[in-house]
Amino acid sequence: MSEPVDVVLVDDHHMFRTGVKASLDAGVRVIGEADTVDEAIRLVRELKPPVVLLDVHLPGGDGGGGAEVIRACTDLLGQTRFLALSVSDASEDVVAVIRAGARGYVTKAIDGTDLSDAVRRVAGGDAVFSPRLAGFVLDAFGAAAGDIAIGDDELDRLSAREREVMRLIARGYSYREVASELFISIKTVETHVSAVLRKLQLSSRHELTRWAAARRLL
Amino acid sequence: MHPTTPVLAPTRRLPLRRPARGRWFGGVALGLSAHLDLPVGLVRLAFVVLTPVAAVGPLLYVFWWLAIPAGDPAAAAQDIRPSALSRLARRQAVIEPGRRIPVTDIAIGAVLVIAAALLIAVRSGADVDADWLLPALIVLAGLWLAWSQLDELQRGRLRDRAGGRTPVSLLRVAGGILLAGVGVLLFVGLASGEGVDTATLAQSIVAALVMLGGVALVLTPWWLRLVRELGDERAARARESERADIAAHLHDSVLQTLALIRSRADDSAEVARMARAQERELREWLYDDRPAPGTSVAAALRGIIAEVEDSRSGPTGDPVAVESVVVGDRVPDADTEALLQATREALVNAVVHGRPPVSLYLEVGTSEVEVFVRDHGDGFDLDEVGTDRFGVRESIIGRVRRRGGAATVTSSPERGTEVHLVVPIRVSDEQGVQS
Repeated sequence: MSEPVDVVLVDDHHMFRTGVKASLDAGVRVIGEADTVDEAIRLVRELKPPVVLLDVHLPGGDGGGGAEVIRACTDLLGQTRFLALSVSDASEDVVAVIRAGARGYVTKAIDGTDLSDAVRRVAGGDAVFSPRLAGFVLDAFGAAAGDIAIGDDELDRLSAREREVMRLIARGYSYREVASELFISIKTVETHVSAVLRKLQLSSRHELTRWAAARRLL
Repeated sequence: MHPTTPVLAPTRRLPLRRPARGRWFGGVALGLSAHLDLPVGLVRLAFVVLTPVAAVGPLLYVFWWLAIPAGDPAAAAQDIRPSALSRLARRQAVIEPGRRIPVTDIAIGAVLVIAAALLIAVRSGADVDADWLLPALIVLAGLWLAWSQLDELQRGRLRDRAGGRTPVSLLRVAGGILLAGVGVLLFVGLASGEGVDTATLAQSIVAALVMLGGVALVLTPWWLRLVRELGDERAARARESERADIAAHLHDSVLQTLALIRSRADDSAEVARMARAQERELREWLYDDRPAPGTSVAAALRGIIAEVEDSRSGPTGDPVAVESVVVGDRVPDADTEALLQATREALVNAVVHGRPPVSLYLEVGTSEVEVFVRDHGDGFDLDEVGTDRFGVRESIIGRVRRRGGAATVTSSPERGTEVHLVVPIRVSDEQGVQS
C-alpha cells in the first residue's frame, strides 16, 4: 500500500473522534484533531492536510458550523479537501456544507472501511456521494424527467445520464454497481458524480436555496 | 420555469419580516419578495416605478420599514410552527456569499453631497429660500433618531430583556425630543417673526399642538415596541413550556431504553435493535420537522420502516437497518396506500430472506410514484416460487397492478434482489401536501 493519507479530524464529541480514529484502516493517518470552528480553522491553516474530516455541527465561530470552517479556508481548497461527516441527515445541513465547498458527505453511521475508502477517494480528487446526498440532489434539481439539461455547460439542471447515476446511487448502488448497470467505466461514473457536485455548488438556480429553506416548513 | 414545483410540497407563505442579510436599505423589498414569493428585483422595480406617482413608492417603503419588524422570514416561520412539529437541534446560520454593495452608505453620502452643494450655493449667493430648510432638517433628524430605535430593538433584544432601558435608547429618545422641539420652536419663531400681537395667542396654541404632535411622533416607537414585546413574550412562554414537555418525553424514552439495554446486555441482537429504535426516534425529533399526521407519504413510509426494523430480523437473527432515501412528497391517497403496503411486504422479504445492507428508495414524481427495495442476498427465481406462495405474487405484484401500476423483480446471486414498484398518480387529485 502506498503512503497513508493524512487527515485532520474535526468533531466536538471526544468519544466520536476516538471511535473514528480506532476504526480507520492503516491507509489513513490522523495528524490533528479540533473541536471548535476557530480551532479547526487554525489547525487546517497550520497543517494544510490533504483531507479534513469535518463535522457539520460545530460550536464556536459565527454559528455557521462546518460550512463556516470551509468558507474560512476557501483559498486552500486546491490542496485541502473536505469530507463532511454528520449524524444529521437533514437536507439543510447537508446542502449548506456542500455549497460551501465540501467534496462529499457521509453519515456517522458509516463503518471504518467505507470511511477510509471515502477519505482516499476524496484525497484523489473524487466526490463522495451517499445515497442520501444523491436523494437531496434529485429533490433539489427536480427528479421529473422533463427537466433535463441539453448542453454540458448548464449549471441549473442535471443531464439525463447524471440523473440516472444519481438515481442508482440513491437506490443503494455502489459506484462499481452503477458502472456495470449502465455499461460504463467506474471512471465515467466518477466524472458524472464530480460534475453533479460542481452543479450543486455553483448552481444559482433560485429553487436550490429556496428549496433548502422551504424543506424546513414542510 | 418551475417544472419541479408539483414535486415539492407547496409551503405556507413566509411571514413578513425585514431580513438583515442582503438588504439595500431597510430590507422591505427583500421581506416582501420572501412573503409574496416573487423575485426581489421585481419588488424593487415596483417601488421605483411607483416613485413618480405622487411618491407612493417611497411613502409605502417608509411605512413598511416602520411597520414590519426586522428578522429572518424563514426563522420567523419556524418560530410560528409548533415546537412539537419542529426539529429541536439548533439551525446553523446560513452564510451564503452575497454581493455586498454598501447601499446605505452610498445613500447617506448622496444626502451629504446634496447638502454640501446646497451650502455652497447659498454661500455663492444663489437665491435659495432656506429659511424653512434648517428647521425641517432638524425635525427630520430628530424623528429619524427616535424611530431608528425600532430597528435597534430587534438587534438589542437580548440586551434589553435583562434591564429594560439602556442608556443608548434613552439618549436616542432624549435627543429626538430635543431636536424635534428645537425644530418646532424655530418654525414658530419663523412664523411669529411678522410680530402680529393679536395672533400671538393662536400661534402659541398652534405651537403647543405642534409640539405635542412632535412628541407623540417621537414616543410612538416606544408604544409600538411595548405592544410587540408583549405579544412576543407570550408566544415565547408558550413555546418554552411546549419544549419542556418534549424534553421530558425524550429524556424519559432514552432513560427507559438505557434501562432495558442494561438489563438485557447479554442479548446483543436485542440491544442493537433497541439502540436502533432509539436512534431513529431521537433523529426524528432532533433533525427533522414533523409533518402533521396523514399529510405525508414520506412520513408514512418512515413509520413502515420503523415497524419492519422493530419486528423483523435477518436470516441470522440480527436486526437489519434499512437505509431509506425519499425524493418528493405528497398527500397519501388510496393508490399510495396500496403502494406502501406492497413496499412493506417487499421490505419484509428483503429483511427476512435477503442480506443487508437493505436499501429503499421512494420517488414522488409528477406522474407516478416509484419505489425500489434492494437487498444483497443470493436472490431467488420468481418462476420457482410456487403459485401457492401468496407472498410475492399477491401481496406485492397484485396490489400494485390493481392500482394500474407495475411491479418488477430483478434477482441474481451476485447482485441481490431488487423490487421495483410504480403506481401512476391520478390527475384529478394531483396536488402536493396541504399545509
